[in-house]
Amino acid sequence: MATRAQSVTERGGKAAASASGALNAPLFQSLIERLRGAGRCVVLDLGAARPETIRLLCEFRCRLDIVDLTDGLDQLNSEQTPRGLRDRAESLLPSRRRESTDVVLCWDMLNYLNRPALSMLMECVAARGRRGTLAHALVVYSARKMPVRPSTFYPIDEQHLASLAPAQSERDAPRYTPEDFALCMPRYTVERARLLRNGMQEFLFRL
Amino acid sequence: MFDIKKGAQDKPAESAPRDAQRPDTSPRPEASRSAGLRDAAVIGPSIHIDGDVRGEEDLLIEGEVNGTVQLKNNSLTIGPNGKVRADVSANSVYVDGYMEGDLFGSERVHIRKSAQVHGNVTSPRVSLEDGAKFKGSIEMDPQAAQSTQRNNASKPVTPSAPKPPAAVGPKPETPTAIKTGAVS
Repeated sequence: MATRAQSVTERGGKAAASASGALNAPLFQSLIERLRGAGRCVVLDLGAARPETIRLLCEFRCRLDIVDLTDGLDQLNSEQTPRGLRDRAESLLPSRRRESTDVVLCWDMLNYLNRPALSMLMECVAARGRRGTLAHALVVYSARKMPVRPSTFYPIDEQHLASLAPAQSERDAPRYTPEDFALCMPRYTVERARLLRNGMQEFLFRL
Repeated sequence: MFDIKKGAQDKPAESAPRDAQRPDTSPRPEASRSAGLRDAAVIGPSIHIDGDVRGEEDLLIEGEVNGTVQLKNNSLTIGPNGKVRADVSANSVYVDGYMEGDLFGSERVHIRKSAQVHGNVTSPRVSLEDGAKFKGSIEMDPQAAQSTQRNNASKPVTPSAPKPPAAVGPKPETPTAIKTGAVS
């Protein structure tokens, strides 16, 4: 029996080849470097399950919680009351455990949440974290338009991300700024932010 | 006039195209069946089991199972038509169909592209094909996986309490190959 966790990507190469280009993501690289120096960790991925993400994280002693928020975005955004919003967010996230979340991956998802939904979801995520929890986010910044549905991002290696961009129509991008995040996510501070060559802003938030 | 044997041999061939798409890592219960040396039990598409399934041989689920599945030293395949709402523990687990519950593979868990999995996976080797739908957690810490394995191994293997007969859909036309240790 294998004594070290290993994951196998069956079609990783094919996905990488069809990706819309590798994206140098220095803050993601710094996140991985921190994971390398840490012990066991819990990673919460708000996006869909990807073979590449599993392959990368299997090098670490970690548990990966996959939320796959895409299908729940409309429900979350349409909730009218704070109570309903909280209940909906809690139902989409994994149940709370004794072990707190160390790292949150929010690749493109935050762009598709309105302000109340963004605020409540990240509040519920914070409740699963601890002081020092890091959240890595990719946020549309330069472009005024973005695809109607979120793109699926995945790591190519420890410093590059790629996306499977859905072929579809576009909608207005919210273009959240650091000030917007400070208002909507008061428990998080922006540790670092970088503008990427695809016009997205890479954020590293700290709880 | 009526070659029953011939008809019986033709039946497995119907699923041949589906099997052809499977990766080489999968167990191939159909192949061994056609050779007359079945090495995997089959819960067919018309079978619905509510309860505990345990056994000492490989198992292919094409029907519906609600409860628990324990195959300590053998592999479990949830076929493309299989629906399992159960806590599953096996040596190797291959998922093509629908699975809801906690999944433990002492050797590996392989989630194929057609699979839909909702639950928590614990195994030293976890693989996921592009296109698979997964929601839940994947425990990739080998120490945690070994701890789970020890806990599973220490569970007493006692026959489960008698339960009402399993709810079965349409009657199977042929004896269904269920030869697990206990099906209740």
